[in-house]
Amino acid sequence: MKIKKLNIGILLFVLVGVLPFAAAFIYALLYSFGIIGVANNGFTLQFWKSVITSGTFFKSFGYSFLIALVAVVISVGSALWITSKFRQQLEKRFMSFIIYLPLAIPGIVTGFFTFQLFSKGGFFARISHKLGFITEASQFPDLVNDGLAIGIIFSFITMITPFFVLLFLNVYKNERVEELSLLAQSLGANANQITQRVFLPILIKKTWVLIMLYFIFLLGAYEVPLILGQESPQMLSVLIIQEIKQYDLDKISEGYVVAVLYTLIVSVAAILLFLPKRKRPYAN
Amino acid sequence: MKRIKYILFGFLLGVTVLSCKEKVRQDDDKLKNASWEEIEDYADGTTVNFMMWQGSTAINDYINNYVVPSVKRKYNIDLQISGGQGPEIVQLVMGEKQADIEQGQVDMAWINGETFFQLRKVKGLWGPFVGLLPNASLINFKDSFISTDFQQPVNGMEAPWSINQFAIVYDFEKLPNPPKNIPELKKFVKEHPGTFTISNDFTGMTLLKSFMAELGGGPNSLDGKFDEDRYTEISEKLWSFINENKRYFWKEGSTFPKEQSKMNQLFANGELLITYGFNEGGIEDKVLNGLYTQSTKGYAWSNGTIRNSNYLGILYNSPEKAGAMQVINFLLSPEAQLKKADAKGMDSNTVLAMDKLESEWKDKFLDARKREYGPTLKELEVNAIAEPAPEYMIRLYEDFRKKVIEN
Repeated sequence: MKIKKLNIGILLFVLVGVLPFAAAFIYALLYSFGIIGVANNGFTLQFWKSVITSGTFFKSFGYSFLIALVAVVISVGSALWITSKFRQQLEKRFMSFIIYLPLAIPGIVTGFFTFQLFSKGGFFARISHKLGFITEASQFPDLVNDGLAIGIIFSFITMITPFFVLLFLNVYKNERVEELSLLAQSLGANANQITQRVFLPILIKKTWVLIMLYFIFLLGAYEVPLILGQESPQMLSVLIIQEIKQYDLDKISEGYVVAVLYTLIVSVAAILLFLPKRKRPYAN
Repeated sequence: MKRIKYILFGFLLGVTVLSCKEKVRQDDDKLKNASWEEIEDYADGTTVNFMMWQGSTAINDYINNYVVPSVKRKYNIDLQISGGQGPEIVQLVMGEKQADIEQGQVDMAWINGETFFQLRKVKGLWGPFVGLLPNASLINFKDSFISTDFQQPVNGMEAPWSINQFAIVYDFEKLPNPPKNIPELKKFVKEHPGTFTISNDFTGMTLLKSFMAELGGGPNSLDGKFDEDRYTEISEKLWSFINENKRYFWKEGSTFPKEQSKMNQLFANGELLITYGFNEGGIEDKVLNGLYTQSTKGYAWSNGTIRNSNYLGILYNSPEKAGAMQVINFLLSPEAQLKKADAKGMDSNTVLAMDKLESEWKDKFLDARKREYGPTLKELEVNAIAEPAPEYMIRLYEDFRKKVIEN
């Protein structure tokens, strides 16, 4: 009975999770080689060549990678700091409500909100104008649609930091970090040693899979970079959609090349990261 | 356990049945040779799916609160609206063609130039059908801005719905003498750095076409079929003009707004001193909504700006072609066109020829509520230029990205 239940579970997983993804991937792959597509004329490597030689994909990938990395590092760092400093206050009902609130706001709303606050004609620019810091809208610093992606990173941080705070608070409780810290203290460890040897290793080790998943999620984010990004380089999802919606029908296949490349890279990275590692005997 | 098996079995059966759905082919030739009374009979009681751009409250209000109830009342047709424009429509058609779907999701679509070109390229439109519509006789097809779409004869494959002209928008209190040609624009951007930009969308590319016509030597310089040499020669002048001056553009030309709504917002909050758009700049509703000040005005470039029509087409695999024809015929009726022309509503210029209308309707059109802020089509008439061939747009998109944005 148990085995049958497991089989059905696997079957459902294959039907709902694997099949649609595999079908979409194969469709994109065939499209990228010109095998299918109403405007295509059969197998060609032309689209792959064009994408690889133009370099736009790699530039865009590197740009997305950096943005996601900076956002994850700052978010995880801030969440760790908040957890270590304000743990007790966060357990109060009002504070936990405040921390839950941003999780309920969709990315697209966060994007618009950031734009309204930080654009040259936005809330802070208007306040600066009223206070006399600037005399013209153009003097306000570039905080959205900017080359350093400040607006995108800010939005990502506001979106994911609360999640990490909640995650770390739970791990802190479940892994009994409090007790372990007291134990370390009684054995003579100072505050820094407790943070570096107990607090950080436990919290990060227990959550690194989620941290990596969030990194991959940010790498493929769409709405926030669409609203707050600049036109070149663009984050990957924005680039893919733009290529697929090209006015030149003969070039739509290039969008599928970008989608296939991105899927391959993320899949390989995910396999390498999450493959069960063979345990070395006598490992520490 | 058994229940799960049944659910799974049902699911698989459903998938199988759906994939083997019986192919029903509507007798298209019969429809093309039918009388209008027969078409009306076929259309009665149908559900017609209309894919259109839903980005304006005035347009949505016109469709949802006027057109949908009217066609239900008059013809017993359920008109369903779905959102989508140019690329989405083309993607949908290409996807359905790819999957060999004979009964498509969408019956009719709101299209213009480049979408018309693309849909014809993939044989995505059904027709010719315009000649079958009784109200088509009220349209002046001798007007080349109506009968030719991006230099391609319409040939009954799409029904003209409205006509408009591109206009430059400014605030005369902030900017008493706006630039009217490229040399003046060069001077303007240097004197007012950061207040001008080009949107990387259909509207921005349309502005570039006006620039190209001017750099080519006159309003008619891009007429005729696409000419590669001519494009290369004029576009080089265009890119060097932009690249030499883009440091005076918005954000020093390091990026460009993705779409028109952003341009409008930047203009409204004072970051830009100049914006532009179709429908004679789209000023009227924005002033009435309080987005633009009452000192906003629109004008055409002295060498001219693009004038074109937008159209309604029926998709090749529409399951309800007769219903779609009935709806399109209603949208071309004097009643529906008059309602659409209301300056406080959709504010759209009619495609109907005044001399073909009965005097009662003609008077109503002449008495209709006029614009208070935006320029009229008539005012811009002398500066109207025809849409160049669609390949110009396709190449401009590609080269603007390669030679300006990524440069």
